[in-house]
Amino acid sequence: MRDDWLREDRLPHIYCAGCGNGTIMNCVLEAVEKTGWDQKKTIFISGIGCSSRAPGYILTDSLHTTHGRAIAFATGVKMANPSLHVVVFTGDGDLAAIGGNHFIHACRRNIDITVVCMNNHIYGMTGGQGSPTTPIGKTSTTTPYGADEAPFDLAELAMAAGANYVARWTSFHVKQLTDSVLTGLNTPGFSLIEVRCQCPTSYGRRNKYREPVDYMTYLKSHAVLKEKWERSAAPGTELPVDSFLVGEFVRRQRPVMGVPDEA
Amino acid sequence: MKLEIDESRCKGCNLCTMVCPYKIYRPGSRPNRRGIYVPDLDQPERCPNCRLQGLYGRRLCGVCALICPDQAIRWVPEKPFEPMKVVIEY
Amino acid sequence: MQGNIASAEGALAAGCTFFGGYPITPSTEVAEHMATRMPKIKGACFIQMEDEIASIAAVIGAAWTGARSMTATSGPGFSLMMENIGYAVMTETPCVIVNIQRGGPSTGQPTMAAQGDIMQVKFGSHGDYSIIALAPSSVQECFDLTAKAFNLADRFRTPVFLMADEVIGHMREKIEIPDSVEIVRPKPLPEGALPFAPGPDGVSGFAAFGTGRHIPVTGLTHDERGYPDTTNPARHESLVRRLVSKIEDARHDIADYSIVNEEAEYVFVCYGAPVRTVREVVERLRLPDTGYLQLRTVWPFPEGLLSRFPKVKAFIVPEMNLGMMAREIERHVSVPVIPVSKIGGDLHTPEELVEAVKAAGGLL
Repeated sequence: MRDDWLREDRLPHIYCAGCGNGTIMNCVLEAVEKTGWDQKKTIFISGIGCSSRAPGYILTDSLHTTHGRAIAFATGVKMANPSLHVVVFTGDGDLAAIGGNHFIHACRRNIDITVVCMNNHIYGMTGGQGSPTTPIGKTSTTTPYGADEAPFDLAELAMAAGANYVARWTSFHVKQLTDSVLTGLNTPGFSLIEVRCQCPTSYGRRNKYREPVDYMTYLKSHAVLKEKWERSAAPGTELPVDSFLVGEFVRRQRPVMGVPDEA
Repeated sequence: MKLEIDESRCKGCNLCTMVCPYKIYRPGSRPNRRGIYVPDLDQPERCPNCRLQGLYGRRLCGVCALICPDQAIRWVPEKPFEPMKVVIEY
Repeated sequence: MQGNIASAEGALAAGCTFFGGYPITPSTEVAEHMATRMPKIKGACFIQMEDEIASIAAVIGAAWTGARSMTATSGPGFSLMMENIGYAVMTETPCVIVNIQRGGPSTGQPTMAAQGDIMQVKFGSHGDYSIIALAPSSVQECFDLTAKAFNLADRFRTPVFLMADEVIGHMREKIEIPDSVEIVRPKPLPEGALPFAPGPDGVSGFAAFGTGRHIPVTGLTHDERGYPDTTNPARHESLVRRLVSKIEDARHDIADYSIVNEEAEYVFVCYGAPVRTVREVVERLRLPDTGYLQLRTVWPFPEGLLSRFPKVKAFIVPEMNLGMMAREIERHVSVPVIPVSKIGGDLHTPEELVEAVKAAGGLL
């Protein structure tokens, strides 16, 4: 049962009503449950931000670390004891801004951890500042006239940097997300699962997605399945405005670090 | 098997009312003690998992429990599991 | 053997099984030596991280799996590590950080010695905290103190620093490597005890990850279960006071020092490389009325040792910075404290120290 993995005495959690992070936590726990991993040997690690509060609600050993450094801590845990299963929860600011360096280097090393990025396009914990994934034109407290910097595509970045498994889903696609996380957990090497999710409080409020359901509807209608797009669209066609690809981006067997020695 | 909304955890985001393909939830109409409009589980008999789980021997659907950001939706066993007594409605 | 390599060997003798590092002059030889030695030791891991922030992060992560872990760096890298050092203090993570000091600020003098980080090590991260810092003055001490640092780290569950400098790190001397070194492992976490509940000495038991204790480790202000509790002033106060007092209360117990000539009127207080010049002056030149106190433990500062010199007229503090520890000593004594500051990378000469004693009124 998923509930066996929750610190029931800590619930309800601090997330706002309708926050996508809780959904993603459910899916990850569901997937972890399916791997059959020993609760004792599973470690959840996070940095700072809304996403990073998640390990505190999970009944395992966990490290809630400093901003952006979760992957570096995870590298230490995994390399020092490869028999532990390491899952990192992180957010878009945590992973792509302050932790960008650790992120690409963990992909390059292809260290055997699974990173779940709760990408809500905003810094939620500090009140809604623009992040490296805020889409062009969207407003936040630090981009009051609309963001004018090009956002990062985290999945493409991880792929280019050498991760073994990369997928992107949204907090609407719970079933696919669960399966994808499960594949990521079981893939040796670095796995990134980017999850686009809603932040009704900080992002939605300023961008006409006031209700959680509004942004869910957007995610549902603008997510384009990667396989389907590649099959149907003429090569070189641009995705429609505001749409994004979801699905499995890469699954491969590059040399990995941090897997237990075959004894 | 029956579904249950844990009122102490629900924050009233209404995502369950959006995702359920059988529309078994309805947005709440009255605030509870904490001022939260907890959705009503108004047509629980339509839930395929509650009805058919025994027949298929695995979990069906379950999207509401997965999507609930507050871990407030779960199944509780109603009575001892007796496979022969499952009633199938079409 | 070189000081840096002695330090690496000391760590290995103490059972260090994880090293996360990043190259920086003048500490690079520590990492290089570890990279050579560790792959041949079963269960040990050397990893070169992408920067010093990641190095210390990996070291803290590894420490939570129960491995004795260490990193080595110098000034600029040390500055980068500061945030995570605060994290290690808050989460009570035992680890060892070797800082081979060089001239600063900024890039400064990569190949020259200094002692300019001695205040940063105690005050560099934000908030109130206490750590343990050791200062070797010879290659033998590099070996001994690194091994000892691991024991102190485990006993007090705190980061421990080896504050060497370029001179000591790159100096070559003969050393004696013992067959085995004393190893003190952390107190285990008693069955059923809360993970951050302090024992009588203020230190809680330690349980590694993977042992089924489900410890939530957080850098937020937390209660004894490890659950965040950030808005309760009393909780924060009791936590931070405990983190400080578990080390400060034990400062005379931790203190590692040498005293020569307690009857002296002019007492050198020294640590690190300047100890060598002081020895020359006091022991070889036999300057009358002088003695010295060598601190191998710089922090927590064992101020009680200063009262061991009943006839003292002045404390003379030769340092390779602009008088950092002199100021700390001044807080505790009523006699004059005379800093002999020298920066630029050269050691003090015996003549300079003799001059300082004369200026203080001695040798008349």
